[in-house]
Amino acid sequence: MDLDTDVPMEDVSEDQPSYQQKTTKTTTPDLQKENIGDLDQWIEKLKNCEPLSERDVKKLCDMATDVLQLEENVQPVQVPVTICGDVHGQFHDLMELFKIGGPCPDTNYLFMGDYVDRGYYSVETVSFLVCMKVRYPKRITILRGNHESRQITQVYGFYDECLRKYGSASVWKLFTDLFDYFPITALVDNKIFCLHGGLSPMIETIDQIRELNRTQEVPHEGPMCDLLWSDPDDRGGWGISPRGAGFTFGQDISEQFNHTNDLSLIARAHQLVMEGYAWTHQESVVTIFSAPNYCYRCGNQAAIMEVDELHNRQFIQYDPSVRPGEPTVTRKTPDYFL
Amino acid sequence: MIPVRRITTEGDLNKWANSETFNELVDFVERLQDSVAGKTNDEAIEVSPAVEKVMKILLRIELIIQENPVLHEKNISRFGKVEFKSFYDQVKSESPTLLNNLTSNEQDVEEISAYLVESWGNRTRIDYGSGHELNFLCFLFCLNQRSIIKPSDYEGVILKVFTKYISIMRILQRNYWLEPAGSHGVWGLDDYHFLPFLFGASQLSTHPYMKPKSIHNDELVDTYYKQYMYFECIHFLNSVKIMPNNQQKLSIRWHSPMLDDISSAKSWLKIKEGMIKMYKAEVLQKLPIIQHFMFGDIIKCPEGISEYSGEEDHDNHAHNTWGDCCGIKIPSAIAASESIKLNKPKPVPFD
Repeated sequence: MDLDTDVPMEDVSEDQPSYQQKTTKTTTPDLQKENIGDLDQWIEKLKNCEPLSERDVKKLCDMATDVLQLEENVQPVQVPVTICGDVHGQFHDLMELFKIGGPCPDTNYLFMGDYVDRGYYSVETVSFLVCMKVRYPKRITILRGNHESRQITQVYGFYDECLRKYGSASVWKLFTDLFDYFPITALVDNKIFCLHGGLSPMIETIDQIRELNRTQEVPHEGPMCDLLWSDPDDRGGWGISPRGAGFTFGQDISEQFNHTNDLSLIARAHQLVMEGYAWTHQESVVTIFSAPNYCYRCGNQAAIMEVDELHNRQFIQYDPSVRPGEPTVTRKTPDYFL
Repeated sequence: MIPVRRITTEGDLNKWANSETFNELVDFVERLQDSVAGKTNDEAIEVSPAVEKVMKILLRIELIIQENPVLHEKNISRFGKVEFKSFYDQVKSESPTLLNNLTSNEQDVEEISAYLVESWGNRTRIDYGSGHELNFLCFLFCLNQRSIIKPSDYEGVILKVFTKYISIMRILQRNYWLEPAGSHGVWGLDDYHFLPFLFGASQLSTHPYMKPKSIHNDELVDTYYKQYMYFECIHFLNSVKIMPNNQQKLSIRWHSPMLDDISSAKSWLKIKEGMIKMYKAEVLQKLPIIQHFMFGDIIKCPEGISEYSGEEDHDNHAHNTWGDCCGIKIPSAIAASESIKLNKPKPVPFD
């Protein structure tokens, strides 16, 4: 097996090294054989949907910080790559995604955020993806979604889940601190701009994104907030988002942005779509959603988008995976009812 | 007066949680809950003219759904069906007339109408959650404060009016694919509701053999869901939380671990009491929900809470681009940065 042991020593260079060539030959002391051993062991454990110990999560997050802080706000990604949307703790469906899209690291992946909240297995989902990121840093890109945030995870489930699975909030703290380092956008072969939410009225060029300071909690407003929160809309121009954060943007805005930045497509996630993917703005924007039967009730399909070397795009849709048995956690009567 | 949102900060929330209005509202919920202890939905009760009148309003609203059918050919990016917006608009335009049967006070009609209209979900987002359900509670609370309904009506208010409201909500949720608003996913009590669990636990609190674990017994749930609100909620979950490809029912432990946990409580009485504590903490004292709570003359805003900013009107009128603010052309980036300069406490966003 090809061991992908390299981690970037510096910011990825402008000319974007191919995944096949290892331009950074030096192995940093951080990812030594014992670390690889740990990671491989953790990945196996997580594949069985067993959460890591708090100690291992701490170790993992330290390693991941080293990797992620070297990535750019607009992380360059090479083709071929498979682009994925929201997962929301639906761990078994994530395993299905890798079955359908091909195993990582043989297939390159780009995830556009929202790994946690709502689903039953946010802890296992985000642990797995972060392990893969540290183990195969050039093979998988994990962007930040609006749910990779302290404030949002306290409302929508990840915090509760960590408390329940670890008995304290320390794992939640470790992961939410790590989220600050996640890159916020990616650029596939200079042509496909990928991010969680959408555009910002304060961002006209991709270079402006490179200048943002991203290592912070997702702010309530401003360009970084918008990139993680905005939605495309049928109406033209900028609109007030019904979500209370970010904006809505019309076809005119998308077309102008793609023209200015010489892009062929904006790929984003953030919204539930019944077919797993949906074109908007006359194919200048595509929404990808990778959590099938969202919240175990929406009946939607999930999808991923494969982009090959020639920039051909292919969508693969999939249904929820069969859940093996019942969760093993024991019932605990909430304090309100004691 | 038209009621408006007031609470924006944690400080406001504190004042609200220690206010007379808060206590009155909680007291109202507790009395409603007590009124249905041990009673089934089909209990033979005397229905007062006031309860009859409220029922008539709900029956009319149920008909409005039929007048706004979903046209399947419309395909838009959002999950919810856009026809919900016409349903909402029609309820809004008819509600003053409907409420005239309850009171002739124009101001009260205007005020009560605001709560009734917001009880069915959010027009823009086409979603629904416990915050919208809270508006229906406020609607009932207004009727109570104006003595349109009296303590003797409470059991009818829950067993007739509230169960009717829930049955209409089920139609809306299924018909227009309302998204769960602010759902905690599997980590919340339910995607949409809280109160039917709160009142439903009271119905079961005196039951001789039905135990909290009964929710796992499909046969019991199927037999009794029309009589007990709590079971209706479980029945509804069992019917929607399925594998879409083979319609296989999913386990409550998977999709609703909170309800599973609650089923380990000692008795329904514990659940009845716990639901009040939980409602206070998880709904009435949660900023993401209470920032949308509306205050007016009937439901008075506690003193010392931030003044109404007027922002709502701006949000709600059909003004769809930053580039064109109320007819005045503004370069979009400037308009956007203006919103930042305002530097007001921003409400917790939705997702």
